[in-house]
Amino acid sequence: MRKKLAVLLGIAGLLMVAAPAWAHHAFAAEFDAQKPVKLKGTVVKVEFINPHSWIHMDVKDADGKVTRWMVEGGSPNALFRRGVTKDALPQGTEIMVDGYQAKDGSNRANGRDITFADGKKLFVGGSNPDEQPNAK
Amino acid sequence: MRKSLTLFSTAAAAVVCISLTLTPGKAQAPAAPAKAVAKAVAKGPRMPDGRPNLNGVWEYIGTANWDIQDHSPAPGPMWQLGAIGAIPAGQGVVEGNEIPYKPAALEKKKQNKASAPAEDPEAKCYMPGIPRATYMPFPFQIIQSNKDILMAYEYASANRLINMGKPIEAGSDTWMGTSNGHWEGDTLVVDVTGLNGLAWFDRAGNWASDKVHVVERYKRRSNDVMDYEATIDDPSVFTRPWKISLPLYKRAEKNAQILEFKCVEFAEELLYGKYKKQPTK
Amino acid sequence: MSGREFALAAVILAGSALAQTSKYTPPRTPDGQPDLQGVWTNITITPLERPANLAGKEFFTAAEARQYEKDTVERNNADRRDGGAQADLSRAYNDAWYDRGTRVVETLRTSLIIDPPDGHIPRRGDQPAGPPPGLGRPPEGPEDRALTERCILWPTAGPPMMPSFYNNNYQIVQGPGYVTILVEMIHDARVIPLDGPRDVRPHIDANVRQWMGDPRGHWEGNTLVVETTNFNDKTRFQRAGPNMRLVERFTRTAPDTIMYEFTVTDPSAFTKHWTGQIPMKRTEGPIIEYACNEGNYAMEGMLAGARADEKKAAGK
Repeated sequence: MRKKLAVLLGIAGLLMVAAPAWAHHAFAAEFDAQKPVKLKGTVVKVEFINPHSWIHMDVKDADGKVTRWMVEGGSPNALFRRGVTKDALPQGTEIMVDGYQAKDGSNRANGRDITFADGKKLFVGGSNPDEQPNAK
Repeated sequence: MRKSLTLFSTAAAAVVCISLTLTPGKAQAPAAPAKAVAKAVAKGPRMPDGRPNLNGVWEYIGTANWDIQDHSPAPGPMWQLGAIGAIPAGQGVVEGNEIPYKPAALEKKKQNKASAPAEDPEAKCYMPGIPRATYMPFPFQIIQSNKDILMAYEYASANRLINMGKPIEAGSDTWMGTSNGHWEGDTLVVDVTGLNGLAWFDRAGNWASDKVHVVERYKRRSNDVMDYEATIDDPSVFTRPWKISLPLYKRAEKNAQILEFKCVEFAEELLYGKYKKQPTK
Repeated sequence: MSGREFALAAVILAGSALAQTSKYTPPRTPDGQPDLQGVWTNITITPLERPANLAGKEFFTAAEARQYEKDTVERNNADRRDGGAQADLSRAYNDAWYDRGTRVVETLRTSLIIDPPDGHIPRRGDQPAGPPPGLGRPPEGPEDRALTERCILWPTAGPPMMPSFYNNNYQIVQGPGYVTILVEMIHDARVIPLDGPRDVRPHIDANVRQWMGDPRGHWEGNTLVVETTNFNDKTRFQRAGPNMRLVERFTRTAPDTIMYEFTVTDPSAFTKHWTGQIPMKRTEGPIIEYACNEGNYAMEGMLAGARADEKKAAGK
């Protein structure tokens, strides 16, 4: 447990800017690293909300059975500033989700890597207005 | 280049400063002639540009947050609180006293009321939306600059910025909406769109959808009283627009200020109690 | 003047050196305040404390800064999948969701801390440096999770205001006698009353404690000085206690820059006061609502996950 925590804090420390390593949401508390999932399905609706966006999708298995999944993303604010709109992922869009399932076994996963059917990552592109060119 | 620029801007600042004192908060003459404004009789202080000065800590006194319609006193939702949790009487703040719900929408109001207080967004420390933020039993502060107007509500650290420039469109739906304001004479008119339809109007479960369009009017009646109106327009819920109107009172304590009411920690048991570790028997 | 007041005055005087070296004169608001209004960001990849491998090095050269930026952006790239499943999971999602920045601060300092000169927080030896109690174990309730995860407070709000991994945005609105800082995360509005020279208003009463403390501001030339007290015992910025005193200074040094400095004093946690500096740069608005508690499904997930683990461990 302590080793896992050390790894987690170490990685979290790299991800954080000027904040204690444990300050952000520890995904390991919500999702299970031992339960990777690969979901292929269509978008039902997107909640562009905080603290996390949620993509609701229908996943059809080999037998044709459809299961509803809820996939967690990040804060939409940075996306909106880049020009992504709330209609960016219309109902019916085919997406692939590579993630980890919720620890409690429910049909929730974190959207570790979300791509369109052609492999292109979601929400890429557009300029970031927060970035300032460094004068020096 | 830099030296001359500094000299120029210093000189310009000096010119501007001539008619202004360096002590903030004191009344001053406008630095430039006011733009053409309606020749209404001035009630209350003015900003340097001649507009009404709405700055200050304000609060509503009344029971609108319990129920915006008229109501007799009634037991509260928890008998354990005795008279402390009971509902005081109140005359309505709805003009005409009728909220013109469509039949299905009225059913939803009744369902909301039956599910209260646990499902009242206020109990969960959710931001109250507009207009409810205005008449919560907590003060709010108006900070009116020469550009935009910020309203900072004590409840749940809610706030919203009223854009006084060219109107901006709501990007996505939010709890506090997107507010665009302009002056009509001495009345501040605020057009609110982009509300997410998840806030209630009161603890009685009155509600509107995410298609609601709220238009507020703030007019200072005197130094200490401001008249507030909110017109609610949502054709998917109501058969016609309807109006709330109530007075707001300036908090008169010396150095009045809003305090913090970060209520999430008070709502956590309600929000997450069922997910908490139960004591082992 | 008490000993504490004297120390505070010394801190303020030391800090005013920055204001004296700035040659830019900002325009004024109608009530005569230097104008700080607009939307600003403190985004940067410069860390609070100087990294161990840069000990003794206060500034980068331009070339070193570019290399550090390249290395950091690569290390921070959330689209990398290496390191094993736990590491992969903790990066959470695609890089496109993040907005940590790609540049060091324009001063090329190697840490946000400028004093003490070693760029480190002067912690007392008897203070634990690890995570607060409760955070190391599976959460029994929300109190075991961080303030960010509970949607109570974010490092960008502070005070002091620190950059985070996205939404590092602030809007300053100045009314007569007030400076207000609207912080995007978590929709906080810091309302700072300004004191006139003959009009110093006391802080709120000692028993009223606030997550973000109680600020009082005044202008020293073109520098806004804000002193904050009355913190509660839960905020614990860098493990400071409720008697932490914070002095922040805002100086507009260019049309698109506010130089922000903060000095932290708390003898219960630190051996001496320490100071950080972060440039705030003009950016495009508006501030977007960050309603956190209202959509906190993740907290349910974290607690439900812990309960599921307990059931599994109990063999149910």
